[in-house]
Amino acid sequence: MSNLWNSTSDLSFVRNAFREYYFKHNDLVETPSRINEREFGLMTFQTGMTRHLSFNNIREVYATLIRNTPSDFYCSNAYYNFPTNSMQDKGWKGADLIFDIDAKDLGLSCEVTHRYHLCANCGEMKDSTDGPCPRCKNLTVRVESIPCSNCFISLRNEVKKLITILTDEFGLGNENISVYFSGNSGFHLYIYDACFHHLDSRARSDLVGYILGNGIGPEVIGVRKGANNKVSIKFSKIGFRYGWSMRLARKLRIDQSSLSKLTNLINKLGGYEEFGKYIREYAKEIGIKIDPQVTIDIHRIFRHGGTLNSKSGLSKLRCVDLNKFDPLNDACLLSDTEVQVYVKPSNLKFKLGGHTFTASHRKEKLPTYAAVYLICKGLATTI
Amino acid sequence: MKLGTADFAKYPFLNEASKFLAESHLDVDEFNRPEMEYIIDRAAVRVEVEMQGKIYKNLERHEVEVLTFLSALILVKLTKVEQIFKKHSLFEAMRAEAFLIQDLRSERDERKKQLLLFEIFKELFKVEVDIDPENAQVFRMKVTDYLVRSSHFHEEGWKVVNKTVHGGYVYLDAEEIVRLVRNELSNFIYEKIRAMSLSNVPQPMVQKANDLALKFRPTFEYKLPRISDYPPCIKHALDLMSKGENLPHTARLMVATYMLSVGKSIDSIVTLFHPAPDFNEKITRYQIEHLAGLKGGQTRYNVPSCSKLNSEDLCFRTLDCGEITNPLKFRRRAE
Repeated sequence: MSNLWNSTSDLSFVRNAFREYYFKHNDLVETPSRINEREFGLMTFQTGMTRHLSFNNIREVYATLIRNTPSDFYCSNAYYNFPTNSMQDKGWKGADLIFDIDAKDLGLSCEVTHRYHLCANCGEMKDSTDGPCPRCKNLTVRVESIPCSNCFISLRNEVKKLITILTDEFGLGNENISVYFSGNSGFHLYIYDACFHHLDSRARSDLVGYILGNGIGPEVIGVRKGANNKVSIKFSKIGFRYGWSMRLARKLRIDQSSLSKLTNLINKLGGYEEFGKYIREYAKEIGIKIDPQVTIDIHRIFRHGGTLNSKSGLSKLRCVDLNKFDPLNDACLLSDTEVQVYVKPSNLKFKLGGHTFTASHRKEKLPTYAAVYLICKGLATTI
Repeated sequence: MKLGTADFAKYPFLNEASKFLAESHLDVDEFNRPEMEYIIDRAAVRVEVEMQGKIYKNLERHEVEVLTFLSALILVKLTKVEQIFKKHSLFEAMRAEAFLIQDLRSERDERKKQLLLFEIFKELFKVEVDIDPENAQVFRMKVTDYLVRSSHFHEEGWKVVNKTVHGGYVYLDAEEIVRLVRNELSNFIYEKIRAMSLSNVPQPMVQKANDLALKFRPTFEYKLPRISDYPPCIKHALDLMSKGENLPHTARLMVATYMLSVGKSIDSIVTLFHPAPDFNEKITRYQIEHLAGLKGGQTRYNVPSCSKLNSEDLCFRTLDCGEITNPLKFRRRAE
């Protein structure tokens, strides 16, 4: 049994709730394009990950979800000639471009207020990451977070910033971008434009650098390194019209007539190297906080749209209108049958399914969706 | 509007230039005629200059240039030396690159400029390049076409974050846009050499080719010592190098750091890079010494991890790799 589940009854309770979801809501499970060219994978509640699966149609997917009731179900971003073969023999044909924005990468100040530490071995609550578990003395810690409304506001803003770059700078049409709530604490952006399908990891890594603002240098605004940390400046014929050069020019308040102003600024900062550092820090600050590995990996399997996330019991769902989408309500689709659970933390307050719950270190009667949510996060256990 | 004969002189590999040759009904045995002697000598000099790592800059009228280009291809093919094929292709590409930069910078007629872009980028390599509507000295390429090419370049300046990107295009100057297709042009010329089928070649040409082969055939035998000891990523890179392929910087770095880590001498590692078409002993030696921590910042570079190599498409993992996380562990496993 995985350490994620405190007991077989927790596991059984969550699995039953998931099975009921797949019975009732299999219409939400999406049919991926070119389904027979995708690799699928699933995580079971007890035996771990199985990859290299293939399905010919969505009915086979429904059957697997109901029959096996996996804790998590994944689909590749890639298209293969032979999806069931081992990785080197699959015959890679291309892959959707996918971005992941997660609350944990945003450095939000609210995170400490809803972060919980648990013993990774026995699930006992801990005050911090330090020290052994008070119950089993194990040193490994599991950190869980209950994202708050501030997290989702910040995530939504980050997603919008990414969409602006993708449309304005990379020329993508809105119709080629789909935004999904990941089912826990983030969003996935899928790019369906076929022009991007054939990009290898190296090209995607370069693209990721652009989004993050990584690897930027003073050259982007025409500043080159001379001898002895001195600089030569030659503004590009392209000017500061678009993209990073425009963002930096705005920050530095320069235009193509500002040669002496820029020279003074660089000297004031201490020369080429220091100016480069200043630019990199600024780019890092305003760059979009995507998870680079997710986008670079062209063989990755992603949680599939319409399936449940075992970290929360929430669904991964497409956000038709990002502004109106409320993850903690719209993606909360498990039943509301009440069950009794033991809530581990004291003074736990969270919003889910349109309700606000206050639970505190005791037996609580909660709707199934809320009970599953807390059990998946290790913050409650069945009685 | 059509390209003129002056353009064929600079870009003799263009389809239009080939038509000129076809119309002149020239057979290989006609290279025996006395008036062709000048062309063949010129072609041999061109190849010699290139084998010395330089660009042949002399430019004459188009009839001479197109025939010299063809003669050089024949001579190179007759040498039967793969390294000469590769090096000639690369330096021919660099020669055309220099002309094209000049033309794109100085040509005032935008239609002519657009035609050149079309004939070279679109016709040969299926890449669309436009002139920026706001500045005729600026060119733009689709961002995905750019990424496919630029991601093989090591210098930070080529990273797309250091370029102007807007509306799905990357904006570049003449030098940048031309440099992006150097490898493709080089491969294009290389394939022309490979595809040539020659018979009844006049003796003077055969003799010239033999002289070139004798002079520029690698003087050492490129032997991979106990190749089974190497992990598949290194073996793959060495295989490509032995065929004179132009390895990306990341692959060269992987090979050099690996060889340093397994205790190979600087000299023996420099020798490994000999077959590279752009090989320059002085530069190669400096770079390897730099990686060894003997030059520059005195930092010794580590062999990139398997995951890093995987992300750079340099990983060719086999079952023998097991669960190793660095190519160096493969060797230790084998031992």
